[in-house]
Amino acid sequence: MTPRWIATGLSQDLPKAVAMAGHWQGQDLAVWRSATGRVQAWNDRCPHRGMRLSHGFVRGETLACIYHGWVYGADGVCKHIPAHPALTPPATIRVAAFACVEQDGVIWVAPADTVGAPVALRGLQPLRSISLTCDVAAVLAVEPALSGGDALRGLVQIGGQACEVCLLVQHNAAGLTLHALCAVGVDRIAASRWVEDLRRRAERKGAA
Amino acid sequence: MIAPEVLNEWYPVAMAAHIRAGQRRVTQLLGQPITVALQGGAIVVTGQGGALHVTEAFGHVWACPGTPAHPLFPIPEALETGRRLVDVGVVRVKCSPLRAVENFLDIAHFPFVHTDVLGAEPHTEVNRYEVQIREDSDEVWATKVTFYQPQAAKSAEGGIVTQYMYRVPAPTAAVLYKTCPVRPDAWDVIGIFVQPLSEDLCDVWPWMALYDDTTPQADLIAFQQMIFLQDRSILENQIPRLLPLDPGMEIPTQADLTSIAYRRWLKKRGLTYGAQMVAA
Repeated sequence: MTPRWIATGLSQDLPKAVAMAGHWQGQDLAVWRSATGRVQAWNDRCPHRGMRLSHGFVRGETLACIYHGWVYGADGVCKHIPAHPALTPPATIRVAAFACVEQDGVIWVAPADTVGAPVALRGLQPLRSISLTCDVAAVLAVEPALSGGDALRGLVQIGGQACEVCLLVQHNAAGLTLHALCAVGVDRIAASRWVEDLRRRAERKGAA
Repeated sequence: MIAPEVLNEWYPVAMAAHIRAGQRRVTQLLGQPITVALQGGAIVVTGQGGALHVTEAFGHVWACPGTPAHPLFPIPEALETGRRLVDVGVVRVKCSPLRAVENFLDIAHFPFVHTDVLGAEPHTEVNRYEVQIREDSDEVWATKVTFYQPQAAKSAEGGIVTQYMYRVPAPTAAVLYKTCPVRPDAWDVIGIFVQPLSEDLCDVWPWMALYDDTTPQADLIAFQQMIFLQDRSILENQIPRLLPLDPGMEIPTQADLTSIAYRRWLKKRGLTYGAQMVAA
C-alpha cells in the first residue's frame, strides 16, 4: 500500500526564504520556507505559463515565480502580478497545496486531504539525504540488518559500534532518495560515511 | 503523421557560411534525420525521402520538407546598408520550438529573468499595446510596445524606455524591432530562427541586424548569448514541455496579448507541431 506521508527532505537543508524541488509519488512539488520559517509544499507549476515554482524566490511569507514574478501568498492564491501592478488578481488564480509538516527534522508531504500525522521518529537525529540509482531490494541485500519498506530501520555497525539508523525512502524516476537519520549521540561524520558506503555497495549490487 | 500544414512551412537548418566552408551538418527536422551539405557548389538538404526544398536567407539555410505553401518571409531591414549582421550561433534547448518563440515575444519576464539588463524592479508594468494578425501577410504583429530597460543593448548607456515591435512571420521564427540606442530614429532588428528537431527539442539561432559600428563582434555575440542562456533556464523548466493551445491549461493576462494571438494563429493554421491540444 502506498504511504500517504512521504519524506521529501530534511529541515536542515531548507533555510529560511528558500525554495527547493520536492515530490510526492511522481508529483513534482515546490517546497519552500518563508522568512518566518513556515514550510509549505505546492504543485511545482505556476498557473500562468507552467514555470516550475521551485525555481522561484521567497520574499517574506510569499513565493514568487522566477519567470514573471507572480506572487503567491501562504494560501496559494496569487496576490500580485508585476506586469499589472494596479490589478487585484482574481482569487481563481491559485496554486494547489499539498499537506506539509516538519517533524523530527524531516519535511513530510502528503495529498491535501490527508488526515493524521507522519510516523514519529523518537530518539533519532537527521543526518543527510542521499540519492541512489538502485532500488530498495539492493539496499536490503547489502545491509541485512535493515528491514522495512518505506522506512528502512535497524542496528548497523558504525565505527565499531551498533547504531540505530532509519532511512526514509522516497522513490523517483532515477531510483530513490534516502533521508537518513541516526540515533542521537552517534558520531555524525562516521554515520555520514556509512551512508555513502551503503550507497556504493547498493548501487554496485543493483548494477550487477 | 505530421500535418501537411506543418510540412509545407520553411525551417532553419544550418548557417550557410558553415556549409559553404565545406562543413556537413547532420541534424534532424521534425523528428526525421537530415543532412545539410555542399554538392556541386549548391547547398543541398537531404532527408530519408530525398532532397528537401531549400532556400538561403539571412545567413541561414532554410528547408521545407513538404511542398512550400509560400516563399520564405522577407526581412527587408536585413538588406539595409550600414547594418551589421550578427550570427549569434546556435543554442540547443529542451523545449517545444513553439515555447521558444513564445518566450521571445514576451516582455513581462525581463525584470525577473534578465534582471538589471532588459528590465529591473520596480519597472515591471507592461502597458497596453496593440496586436493584430495582418491579413495581407498572415503574420502576427505586436506594436506600440514600450518597456523601461536598464541596459537595452550592448551599445546602451544607462536606462531607457525602449520601444518594441514584434512580428511572427513563420511558426518557428520571430523578429523584433527595438529602439536603437545609438540611432533613435532607427530600429535594431533581432530575430530567432528555431529549428524543430522534434516536438520538444529545438536548436535556436539568434540573429541580429544592428546599427552599431563600435562594439566588437565578440561582445555583441556574448551579450545576446547571455540573454538567451537566461531564457533557456526558463524554457527547460516549463511544464509541460509542449505549448498548450487549449485555454484552461494556462492563465494569460493583458500583457500576454502577443502570446494569445500567436497561439490562436498556430491553432487556426493547423501548425500544431510542438503543441499540446488537450489539457492533460
